[in-house]
Amino acid sequence: MRASAARSIGIKPRTSTTHPTPYSWINPATPGPSRSGALAGRSIAVKDNISYTASPTSCSSSMLRDYNPPYTATCVTLLLKAGAHIAGQTKMDEFGMGSQTTHLPPFYTPVHNPASPTPDEPPRSAGGSSGGSAAAVAEGSCWAALGTDTGGSVRLPASYCGVVGLKPSYGLVSRRGVVAYADSLDCVGVLARDVDTVERVFNVISHPDEGDMTCALASSRQKVDSILESHLANLASSSPFSSPLTGLRIGLPTESPISPPQSLLSHLAFLGASIQAISLPYINLALPAYYVLASAEASSNLGRYGGGWYGSVDEKEIRDGESGLERRKRVRTEGFGKEVKKRILAGTYALSADEFDNTYLKALHLRQLLRQDYQNTFRIPHPLSPSTSGLSSKTDGVDLLLHPTAIQTAPLLSATQEVKGDSEYRQDRLTVPASLAGLPAMSVPAGKGEDGWPVGVSVTGQWGMEGLVFRLGRAIEEWSAGQ
Amino acid sequence: MTSILRWVPTSLVSSALRCTRTYSTHVDVKGKGKATTTAAAEDGEWETVIGLEIHAQLKTGRKLFSPASTSYGDVPNTNVNLHDAAFPGTLPQLDLNAVRLSLMTALALNCTINPRSTFDRKHYFYHDIPASYQITQHYNPLARNGRIQIDKGDNGSSRIFEVGIHQLQIEQDTAKSQTVGSSVLVDLNRAGTGLMEIVTEPDIRSAEEAGAFVKKLQGLLRRVGSADGDMEKGNLRVDVNVSVHKRGSPFGTRCEIKNINSVRFLQAAIESERRRHIEHYLNTDTPLAQETRGLNELTLQTFPLRSKEEATDYRYMPDSNLPAMVIDPAYLTKLRDQLPEMPWQSVERLMTEYGVTKRDVETLLGLDEYEARGVKYFEDVVGGNRSVAKRAMNWIVHETLGQLGKLNKSWSPTIIPPALMRELVASIENGAITGTTGKSIVKHLLSLPSSVDPTTELDSVLSRLGIHISLDPSASDDDGGEGLSEMCLKAMGNQPKAVIDYKKGNEKVVMRLVGEVMKISGGRADARKAKTVLEELLKA
Repeated sequence: MRASAARSIGIKPRTSTTHPTPYSWINPATPGPSRSGALAGRSIAVKDNISYTASPTSCSSSMLRDYNPPYTATCVTLLLKAGAHIAGQTKMDEFGMGSQTTHLPPFYTPVHNPASPTPDEPPRSAGGSSGGSAAAVAEGSCWAALGTDTGGSVRLPASYCGVVGLKPSYGLVSRRGVVAYADSLDCVGVLARDVDTVERVFNVISHPDEGDMTCALASSRQKVDSILESHLANLASSSPFSSPLTGLRIGLPTESPISPPQSLLSHLAFLGASIQAISLPYINLALPAYYVLASAEASSNLGRYGGGWYGSVDEKEIRDGESGLERRKRVRTEGFGKEVKKRILAGTYALSADEFDNTYLKALHLRQLLRQDYQNTFRIPHPLSPSTSGLSSKTDGVDLLLHPTAIQTAPLLSATQEVKGDSEYRQDRLTVPASLAGLPAMSVPAGKGEDGWPVGVSVTGQWGMEGLVFRLGRAIEEWSAGQ
Repeated sequence: MTSILRWVPTSLVSSALRCTRTYSTHVDVKGKGKATTTAAAEDGEWETVIGLEIHAQLKTGRKLFSPASTSYGDVPNTNVNLHDAAFPGTLPQLDLNAVRLSLMTALALNCTINPRSTFDRKHYFYHDIPASYQITQHYNPLARNGRIQIDKGDNGSSRIFEVGIHQLQIEQDTAKSQTVGSSVLVDLNRAGTGLMEIVTEPDIRSAEEAGAFVKKLQGLLRRVGSADGDMEKGNLRVDVNVSVHKRGSPFGTRCEIKNINSVRFLQAAIESERRRHIEHYLNTDTPLAQETRGLNELTLQTFPLRSKEEATDYRYMPDSNLPAMVIDPAYLTKLRDQLPEMPWQSVERLMTEYGVTKRDVETLLGLDEYEARGVKYFEDVVGGNRSVAKRAMNWIVHETLGQLGKLNKSWSPTIIPPALMRELVASIENGAITGTTGKSIVKHLLSLPSSVDPTTELDSVLSRLGIHISLDPSASDDDGGEGLSEMCLKAMGNQPKAVIDYKKGNEKVVMRLVGEVMKISGGRADARKAKTVLEELLKA
């Protein structure tokens, strides 16, 4: 049934034949003979902000044009060790800033959403910022792809392109080698055509790494495993009737502007889940917090560009009489796109001495309140909370949250300039909260919209509870296949 | 390129530094940085208020957030990790040893350790900071509220007082950059080296007191092992805040003089600044401008670098790549137990326990500021027998170190093993050998090409030197005593007039006979005993 879910979006050859291509770089090396390992012989694309010595890693920015990283990101090393072949690097919104993969440098062709129901439709957005990864998976030119998700950058393109997209718990996948946008929010995510594939890739890249001090230690992971195991045992014993979702409690956030399809909810209930409305009152207040925190961190992280370190053509250019400061200004003015500059300016403002208390500190506080909202909502305790001594769960609370991933199907590429303001805000409200709280969230295809384009629903779980997220994801996938 | 980049700090002050350092010795001759007290006495109604900000490089061998080495003086850009160069996607890996040493330092400074401290980013654009931010601790530093006592006499300090430690934080050092013609050369070898920033309260009142504090801190850092405190190499740098006011009136405007790299320059900077402020207040009604200043090391005058209006907004922000450091109280207790005795504690204890002088203990401490092997050596030599402590100190500090100085050799506890030195001192104490013999033994031991076997006994050294004396004090009457009697008799034979004079009642002439005994014995005889023996023989 899962295979048919994939087939419904159309599997295409394993090299990019679409024009324009979702790739910024296609690996010229042919996959070697199938080696041993969990991902032996599998072809996986990685987003253009994940360092890989074999390819340029430009973050789809003129600033890093032709930048060849001298080291490989931990997550890519893990893929290679597991026997995977890196298919190529995929286009993205510049430095991850955007949600349509339209913030591209002039030397990149656009990315078209391959999930078109008919061949002659006008091109639509693949979503972003990991639009290239979602499109590469959807067109079938790779088996899976890595993206990065700061506020929805894996989940939204997954929803638009009709593929599965996981943003793992913050800290489970090493960020070493992943070019930073906002360190406290950035997560390496996985895109694939079915939940099983996502899970297989996730299991390889979810690994402790001394190179990233925010990456969960083996001991934390063991704690997660035992909590999950004990919770699954509790679920199974909660009813004499054994079905896939027996005992599982699903919450529907009342703050979501739209609801998942009713037939999906009936199916999940049929599988044994109980469904209830829940409220996360701080979601609305937390959104401005996201804008402040993400742009503040971006302004800090992107400060390094323009100093002449990474070898882009513009950085190397020496102009007579130009001082170091002038050169830095020129390189940054010309090297960054409009959206990036906008966010750097906003972030710089938020961090300025006069604004800090009223912007950044307030944002941190709101983020904390939202996290508390989630912790009050979940039945399973947070595995890293110091008060989580035993494996005891609360009696009330839900196990997972469910809501649509996007407020709409993929917008027309010609209309992406209009997707601003209120609708952007409404869209962000669906994906940003899980990022702020560092929780695992996965978008799973859930049928088609009225226009025939894919629709996705998002499953959010307690920190470290990817296992539960996958379980519900598979049930949704099963329902989708029956549509 | 190496030579250009070998000098120290990054600010404008230092651009002239390479050459001034050569000349500075000339300037130094008359001033010697000690002119302050007289000047202070002249205008006693003015009070100078001083606070220090000290940057001390952590001595861990690796950088604070990367595994690159921190060795000094290497070819530029050879000790660089990708993180030091702020390559995209690189992340900091905190050196826990740097944290441990910083905690030890904070404990030695009697600080309160913050149970949860965090790292922040301080932003600015400059060549010496590839990431355009420095990782530091702005909001929750490692430790606060410390204090350290300065004693009267320390570096000429005229009072006993405490310097409060406002806070101690861990942060990254910058790269070195240097403008050569139209280009800027950057050496990343120093970039990312761990620093402790130690900020004092404004408790200091004179240049000497400031110097005393820095010297005391250097001793503390070396004893803890957290830093070498070497100002010459730029491993310890001082920023000083100075304000002047009339006693009884509020504090004056404060100016900061940055990047001072010797105690002498520190004192000169304070003195120059103090004079400048007083002159300003005496001659003009306009407020003194709050400024950041540098020190011209040639003229020993401060000069303006930038005014408060030009101050940068550093846009401090928590660094999300570094989890908060939560310090386990049990770990802290362990570290406190491991704290070595501080140099000033050693001085006090040795003076009390052994009745030795401060100056001698300080000499012992100077032998090894890191492990205090000099103090340990002294105590090993004394070995619980406190009655010989002063003599032992004399033989170590004056005899051994004096001779080593002449030989231009450095001290080590193995040159004369403590057990051998103890035996030597004891033998002199009980008269088994004379001081002169002792000196020749020391001289002999110091002349040896390699260290002496630690189990060597005095006996074997003596026999090697051809000296045959029983070292057993109880046997001395039979053996050495007999020899002495013989020598005394011989002396009396050689000096018959002296014998007659003595018997006539001129008892002082016994000394002439003692001298004769010494001559006969080749200086090895014990003069005191010889006198006794002679007196007995003469009265017989």
